[in-house]
Amino acid sequence: MAVDITVKIGGQAGQGIQTVGDLLCQTCRQAGYFFLAINDYESRVRGGHNFFQVRISDTPVLAPAQEVDLLVDLDGVTYTQHASELNDDAIVLCMPEQNPAGHRTLHIDFTGLAKEAGNKAAQNTVAAAACLALLGAGKELCSKVVSQLFGTEEEKIVTVNQKALQAGFERVAQSDLKGWNLTWKEQQPAGALFDGASALALGAVAAGCRVGAFYPMSPATGIMTHLVQLAEHFPLVVEQAEDEIAAVNMVIGANFAGCRALTATSGGGFSLMTEGIGLAATTETPLVLINAQRPGPATGLPTRTGQGDLLFTLHASQDEFPRFVLAPATVADCFYTIQRAFYLADTYQVPVMVLVDQYLVSTSMLVAEKLEINPAAIPASMPKPPAKPETYARFAFTENGISPRLFPCQSQALVKATGNEHTPDGHSSENRENRIAMVNKRLAKLPSMKQEQRPPLLHHEQADWLLVSWGSSYGMVYEAVGKLRSQGLDVGLAHLVDIWPLPQEPLQSLLSGSKWILVEQNATGQLGWMLRAELGVEPKSSILQYDGRPLEVARIVSETAAKIGG
Amino acid sequence: MVTINDYTSNYENQWCPGCGNFGILPAMKMAFVAQKLAPHELLLVSGIGQAGKTPHFLECNFIHALHGRALAVASGAKLANHNLNVVVNSGDGDCYGEGGNHFIHAIRRNLDLTLLVHNNQIYGLTKGQASPTTDKDMTTSIQSHGVSNRPFRPLAVALSLGAGFVARGFAGQKEQLAELIQAAMNYRGFSLIDILQPCVTFNHLNTFAWYKQRVVDVATLNHDARDFQSAMQLAMEWGERIPTGILYQHEEDDFTALNPWLQQGPMLQREYNANAINDYIDDLYRI
Repeated sequence: MAVDITVKIGGQAGQGIQTVGDLLCQTCRQAGYFFLAINDYESRVRGGHNFFQVRISDTPVLAPAQEVDLLVDLDGVTYTQHASELNDDAIVLCMPEQNPAGHRTLHIDFTGLAKEAGNKAAQNTVAAAACLALLGAGKELCSKVVSQLFGTEEEKIVTVNQKALQAGFERVAQSDLKGWNLTWKEQQPAGALFDGASALALGAVAAGCRVGAFYPMSPATGIMTHLVQLAEHFPLVVEQAEDEIAAVNMVIGANFAGCRALTATSGGGFSLMTEGIGLAATTETPLVLINAQRPGPATGLPTRTGQGDLLFTLHASQDEFPRFVLAPATVADCFYTIQRAFYLADTYQVPVMVLVDQYLVSTSMLVAEKLEINPAAIPASMPKPPAKPETYARFAFTENGISPRLFPCQSQALVKATGNEHTPDGHSSENRENRIAMVNKRLAKLPSMKQEQRPPLLHHEQADWLLVSWGSSYGMVYEAVGKLRSQGLDVGLAHLVDIWPLPQEPLQSLLSGSKWILVEQNATGQLGWMLRAELGVEPKSSILQYDGRPLEVARIVSETAAKIGG
Repeated sequence: MVTINDYTSNYENQWCPGCGNFGILPAMKMAFVAQKLAPHELLLVSGIGQAGKTPHFLECNFIHALHGRALAVASGAKLANHNLNVVVNSGDGDCYGEGGNHFIHAIRRNLDLTLLVHNNQIYGLTKGQASPTTDKDMTTSIQSHGVSNRPFRPLAVALSLGAGFVARGFAGQKEQLAELIQAAMNYRGFSLIDILQPCVTFNHLNTFAWYKQRVVDVATLNHDARDFQSAMQLAMEWGERIPTGILYQHEEDDFTALNPWLQQGPMLQREYNANAINDYIDDLYRI
């Protein structure tokens, strides 16, 4: 039988549930298993209730499961809050004073055993060990992973955690609980461990990004943290700016001077950056900006997920100019999309906004495919200045609207740019004909920009009904389609990844006059709004989730089935 | 050889006749020529306002950016290529108002930039509202009962943030200003010159004559520019006597000297190394 087990560990912030997760994921990885893990946390540093949930499988998985097989309660409230998610034969690991009636239970004195091992903080290792023991993992493999994970710490910490691991295994051995008999043997890992944030940062480096500027904001901070770690290995300067306004303007300055540069933000930070997006647009300076969405308005739900910024991103900053909006579908796709973002920004000299969200940036999973550098995204060297440098005009009119770009102080040719409307040589101008010509020049890029766009990801697109979705929800909607089809319902999927400019075909033909359902993580169906405006198509219905939690496969399945009368 | 004429722009100058900026523009040119900088070796970054227009009136590389954001754009350009000679033209509204936060943190960041603030104590481009440096009680179309906010003291703020080069110039004293600009450009780190600049159209209080009666070169005051306390005292002085010249200067490692990558040369010159990236990715797939 196929392996598909979900483990959920709940605890307070600061209790180290991330460590439990790391131990589980790394052990799975080194035993050849696939996994996908989500982090659910509150906007606080200590206390509260957070959880880490990992789905372990022997085949690649792209979505979290809703049903839990093994639940670890470190904070005394996890069981109460998540009891309804438990399978009938689920196992609950909890402290001795708890009594989760009706479920197979193993009482573990997590802190007591950790203290015996030498440090109360090792309670997370006790918990992880008990989970791994119940899953049938060998202690030797687990012990090796502990050494790897704590290897950079002092030797005492490694010893304490090894003892805690031993204690967790012993506690399970003393019980007569029957866990799972998975095959655990050390083998070549089936892939590498990435979350969306690390894939985005690595993709930026693969695209030759040299400068990063940002202001910390959940859930985008992880992207920049990973970028800083990469700066230990690759030539890269990452500066924490005084605010998001500074961050975006620094990135524009760096690009203007000739280096690829990145900024990432969310919600309010993105709102502050909108002014800068316009400067990049009119000075035709490449700009790559990641908006890791979280629910709003205002502070909203700082650590949760949503897709509420689609239309805002499409229109962010005043007046009209061409831009790209890209929304990667998976963790691996983050790596490829950000590379393309740099390529597109440089090629078309326009802002490129990459829309991800808390779910995608903080979801870690085993990526089986080997991530490869996109050769097209490797930065090209600066074009040669004209033979007569004094004839150079940064915004020269061209057929495709793209003017040869030079960097300042790299040749005799002078590079002049302004946020005011300007003449081809970069000086401010209020001339009416020039204004019209310049707007047209910038917009002239659109037809070739459209040609760059990836078509939607399609599955069973000739089905009676289509689910239409975008960005990070791919894994969930894809899995839902599989389940619906296995119920005998003829359902397919059209999933948008390149949002703007909208790739017209095959969407136009697929959606015109056919039956489709919008699946989005916002309250008003923003993708539907865009498709209606651009293609004149109308969904039959929509499934909208805006609770700040990851989209639920079970919900898509049941609501779709109900809507199409299955 | 570089000459003043190399910096002559064909673009029509848009300042009012008699504007204090006409004192700053030649001082800049004089400084650049004295520095033997050709126009293609210089990058001007400016914000919005009458000062923000300055780069159009010289012949050189420039980016005339958004209101208040010039320092952020200039900082990004320096992160990318710290070999660039970057001079920032900003105004009292642009730099101390809209861009106040960037002003504070650019000083702390200490990139090797020269900031010229054309301080006319008024908003010119938006036609005469109070700026952060407008004197108290002055009436304007908006502050019709007189300015009630206390004025911003840029030099004292810069000093309190540890700025290593703090100076004041006066548009009416071109030679002194040109020397200050040169000294600021030669200083390695963030340098500020607040430039008193009469606005002939909207500021009828702080006129050429008003400034002329008050400015005093610190060189004549037996001031030691290494003396922080004395510099702070001079920076707070405003009234009968207004000190000009280099109030404070001290040497310190700048941003570039403190960054391990930048020590090895500008980011712009770094070659793309596909092998290093591939090796790093390969490692992630191993145990």
